[in-house]
Amino acid sequence: MKKVEIEQILDAIKATKVIEDVESLKHDVELSEQGIDSLDLSNMLLGMEDAFGIEIPDEDIDALLTINDILEYVNGKI
Amino acid sequence: MVAITHIGTYLPQKKINNLERTAEFSVDENFISEKIGVLNRRIKSQEQKASDLCVEAFQDLKSQTDINLDDIDCCVVVTQNPDYNLPHTSAIVHGLLDLPESCACFDISLGCSGYVYALAVLNAFMEVQGFRKGLLFTADAYSSILDESDKNTALIFGDGATVSLLENGKPGLSPICFDFGSKGKGYKNLINNGSLHMNGRMVFNFSATTVPKSIDAALGKAGLKKSNIVKWYLHQGSKYIVDTIAQRAELDPARVVFGMYDYGNTVSSSIPMLLKEDLIKMKSGEKYCLSGFGVGLSWATGIFEFK
Repeated sequence: MKKVEIEQILDAIKATKVIEDVESLKHDVELSEQGIDSLDLSNMLLGMEDAFGIEIPDEDIDALLTINDILEYVNGKI
Repeated sequence: MVAITHIGTYLPQKKINNLERTAEFSVDENFISEKIGVLNRRIKSQEQKASDLCVEAFQDLKSQTDINLDDIDCCVVVTQNPDYNLPHTSAIVHGLLDLPESCACFDISLGCSGYVYALAVLNAFMEVQGFRKGLLFTADAYSSILDESDKNTALIFGDGATVSLLENGKPGLSPICFDFGSKGKGYKNLINNGSLHMNGRMVFNFSATTVPKSIDAALGKAGLKKSNIVKWYLHQGSKYIVDTIAQRAELDPARVVFGMYDYGNTVSSSIPMLLKEDLIKMKSGEKYCLSGFGVGLSWATGIFEFK
């Protein structure tokens, strides 16, 4: 399957509406340090499941700290 | 046709202020008010059992309308925290209220979907039996099973009880149709296994993905569009889940009712708590949607008309 690009990850986050300015998110900084709380993170990860048809089990969550982590993870799952 | 004609409610006086617990749980005030949506949680006294909460709600109902207890044909309690494993709590309520021996009593063991499920069950039961009046109680006091140090649950759940007076052939809120379902494989995500355990993310995913589909299914059965619905009464799991479902189901936010700030998530009582005030303002022909979801994992959505 074709590799997922960062823009697709950002579009999936946009669809969840957890943050108004998705472009302002730094890709290599932990989301929790950028005002994304645990509920928003759950919503964002559900957005990834919706957008890319994947399932993200609980045991994988702790490693998904940044946008880059999510990008790498999604590409490993599709 | 069976209709909800009056609703009585009970909230314990004792409050726990969530804003005083921000440091304890490393959250800020915005998270409490805008995400959880619970500023105060209500807590019953240790001595109060489910039946006592039901009786308190009944006193409120009695203050609104004359009720001849001899006219009550059935008494149902929705609870998963009954007074005892046996007998059923509705039998205890029957005794406490001195209801007639001819009154049918049973409990329904469901959580957050329980009120909508029970409305469907009682609508059919009362119709078939030709019953004229029924009492539908909801009482699930989670304070007795909560771990107050658990961040996933201790800021959310509050105690309360309601009773809906259901009357056959009277003006009120009557069901048009329902959509039900279960995802039993997810039952461990919300469970009392010594104390209440909730996998918040999994319950969130379940609610956010299932309820919008259930709403569509119920509307489809009723032959209605979202624009036909005057107000949406979603189970008050948290403000975040209500907002998320509203967004994902593309509901008009102005028509989505939210109102748990001063008491918390009261489980099966959350929808009738909201309905109580609105019921007296409803007009003939208006249509409403009630959707409960949670423990099980289970859901029930009903489309109703005031007539």
